[in-house]
Amino acid sequence: MAAPPASMSAAPSPLQSAVAPDVPGRQAEQNETACEDRSNAGTLDRLLPPVGTGRSPRKRTTSQCKSEPPLLRTSKRTIYTAGRPPWYNEHGTQSKEAFAIGLGGGSASGKTTVARMIIEALDVPWVVLLSMDSFYKVLTQQQQEQAACNNFNFDHPDAFDFDLIISTLKKLKQGRSVQVPIYDFTTHSRKKDWKTLYGANVIIFEGIMAFADKTLLELLDMKIFVDTDSDIRLVRRLRRDISERGRDIEGVIKQYNKFVKPAFDQYIQPTMRLADIVVPRGSGNTVAIDLIVQHVHSQLEERELSVRAALASAHQCHPLPQTLSVLKSTPQVRGMHTIIRDKETSRDEFIFYSKRLMRLLIEHALSFLPFQDCTVQTPQGQDYVGKCYAGKQITGVSILRAGETMEPALRAVCKDVRIGTILIQTNQLTGEPELHYLRLPKDISDDHVILMDCTVSTGAAAMMAVRVLLDHDVPEDKIFLLSLLMAEMGVHSVAYAFPRVRIITTAVDKRVNDLFRIIPGIGNFGDRYFGTDAVPDGSDDDEAATVG
Amino acid sequence: MASELQRPDSMPCHNRQVNSTSSPSPEHLLAEDRVLDHAEENNAAMAKLTLLPGHAHSSVLSERDSPACCSTNLHSENHSDSSDSGNYDAPVGGDSLLGDCELSRQIGAQLKLLPMNDQIRELQTIIRDKTASRGDFMFSADRLIRLVVEEGLNQLPYKECMVTTPTGHKYEGVKFEKGNCGVSIMRSGEAMEQGLRDCCRSIRIGKILIQSDEETQRAKVYYAKFPPDIHRRKVLLMYPILSTGNTVIEAVKVLIEHGVQPSVIILLSLFSTPHGAKSIIQEFPEITILTTEVHPVAPTHFGQKYFGTD
Repeated sequence: MAAPPASMSAAPSPLQSAVAPDVPGRQAEQNETACEDRSNAGTLDRLLPPVGTGRSPRKRTTSQCKSEPPLLRTSKRTIYTAGRPPWYNEHGTQSKEAFAIGLGGGSASGKTTVARMIIEALDVPWVVLLSMDSFYKVLTQQQQEQAACNNFNFDHPDAFDFDLIISTLKKLKQGRSVQVPIYDFTTHSRKKDWKTLYGANVIIFEGIMAFADKTLLELLDMKIFVDTDSDIRLVRRLRRDISERGRDIEGVIKQYNKFVKPAFDQYIQPTMRLADIVVPRGSGNTVAIDLIVQHVHSQLEERELSVRAALASAHQCHPLPQTLSVLKSTPQVRGMHTIIRDKETSRDEFIFYSKRLMRLLIEHALSFLPFQDCTVQTPQGQDYVGKCYAGKQITGVSILRAGETMEPALRAVCKDVRIGTILIQTNQLTGEPELHYLRLPKDISDDHVILMDCTVSTGAAAMMAVRVLLDHDVPEDKIFLLSLLMAEMGVHSVAYAFPRVRIITTAVDKRVNDLFRIIPGIGNFGDRYFGTDAVPDGSDDDEAATVG
Repeated sequence: MASELQRPDSMPCHNRQVNSTSSPSPEHLLAEDRVLDHAEENNAAMAKLTLLPGHAHSSVLSERDSPACCSTNLHSENHSDSSDSGNYDAPVGGDSLLGDCELSRQIGAQLKLLPMNDQIRELQTIIRDKTASRGDFMFSADRLIRLVVEEGLNQLPYKECMVTTPTGHKYEGVKFEKGNCGVSIMRSGEAMEQGLRDCCRSIRIGKILIQSDEETQRAKVYYAKFPPDIHRRKVLLMYPILSTGNTVIEAVKVLIEHGVQPSVIILLSLFSTPHGAKSIIQEFPEITILTTEVHPVAPTHFGQKYFGTD
């Protein structure tokens, strides 16, 4: 009996819910999927509707995953996610590759459950779960017809695109952003939009053929085989396929005997010997999972980096780099600096003159873009030889929160400019910058990127942002770092790590104090601009008077 | 040849009459309201600055420091960097596009060019391009206006002062003097008012409505309204296109009638012909002219395209 194509196509993919979020599944699976998304805070999913610029990251609904209290709440700010600490050194390069865990095992052995238990037990952010089910090959017409009558072997190594798997895993280990196909099991093809993954400290790669390719095997730092009894696996498949996908028992057993079992005997079970750890009984084996988690933790500790302290001690008494361009100190520029540096300046004046200075800064920065000659016809009849922009597109990226204030000025100068945003906060315990949120336009790698932050002291946050852009394949010489005020230390740090990034500012102060504040500086720009500094008693009356 | 250059100028004037007569008073009232709303606040804010005796960092700054030398300051300032515009063909007469130094020699030191870069050239290109959409035209014009206004404000006098930053350290800065106002020559000068307002929120703005007679090319004044004390103020005179210079000459005469000295007038413009700049400087040697390009052909379609009245 021919099964319906929809249910038939799902048969060889027990982990469908992990790769096809739009396919209806059990509530529990949905919860787990959503929680997984949360643990990959840096993951960009193109399928999600666009988030408005400057808005905070979307909150998860309580029906999707359990509600968690904020990670950190102080009198000054509240942080809801654990940020990613620096994954690069003071040279700007990633010093160690991400830790890759391979999870192999038979169909319905519980690989995904084990993966999620590991993620939960690790309790560290920036873990990426990569499923091999995403990498099925696109079927030809003939193969489609075979699949429609249960005659295509989805359990053979040839069904998978190993080249793409290997290149994707390599890039992820190098810390780069990658695109992962989303496989449609009803049409046996890839959806148009691919999913973006970025920011992996730990990669968990799971699939029935996880150990089937030699090159792929070499990329895995830890290989785990989930060894579940074949009878249990068959029962799980029967339960899933019959109750959830509406198939008949004869069809399931037929496919199991024809494809699934031979695949296990021929391709999967022999790879058990390649594993570092075998986990009998799967997710029930909490002892094995605990041991795995401990090992991964020790690996992660070796990867922790301290960037800011290294920055603070570097580059003393060096001349400022050639890639630095300081806006000419005209009387107006000096006048505006006088106003915004003055601690007595009202917020209204502070905002107004900061905006004016941002506008001049951005106009100055855009003059460094490439231009070419072009001739236009004038209404007066003559030809006119002028200039036009020689690049493809300009994209702005603001480092939240202070950098967001520069977005309107950029939009006033670049019509229709796309603007991405990066949330970086300083960890108050370690003093290190942490990456909390990332939203970039698609296809940013061909653009000239205007990276905006209002002040740069040690350069730690700016370096992290530049590293993110490089991880998204933006060429270094197409990155322009714009700041209203920088310290010499910050200039040196960025220029040393990324010598082709152009640094453009309106003033460079000489030093920073023990708290990494610029001296003489401007104070905390974000607090002064948004009014989030400590307010004296009666300030509401002052503001009311101002409004009146 | 001169009449050929002048002829396109008459059309904008014709359109200007129809549009401006219907609205000048309400606009002026609005401007007046804005001035009143912000003036007090601005004064209070400025009063917070700590004024300390300034000390010179260089002889140049020292020269510019003294307010008594205001006129000298305006005249003595020169841009040392040259313009790219000297590379272009000159289809009309023997004039050619000149760099800043050459312009100073031929026309006069009173003429200052905005420091040139490719970004500004791109804006100029879009403004001149007959195929540019009106949206792109306005966007580019507004950007160029803003840059000209910012540079024009640099011509104003200032003093050294010291302030304390939130980190508790001193910062040596400058403070600009009060007593400025803008004057726009309608109609096309209106386009520059917002750029000025964006930089100086509560600056007072006067208006002069001038139309050129289509037959005689003589500029005729229809309307003028200024702050009452304009004779004590420095004037930023705004008119984007200098073709013959006749309109500006008439406007300056009106200002002189109201007690304004040419030495305190800074003319902000976007494009100028050599002839127009020369005419103005010959008539008023003490004036300062700031523009972005000197070219034999002026984009005389500016007002029509900006306001959509073509």
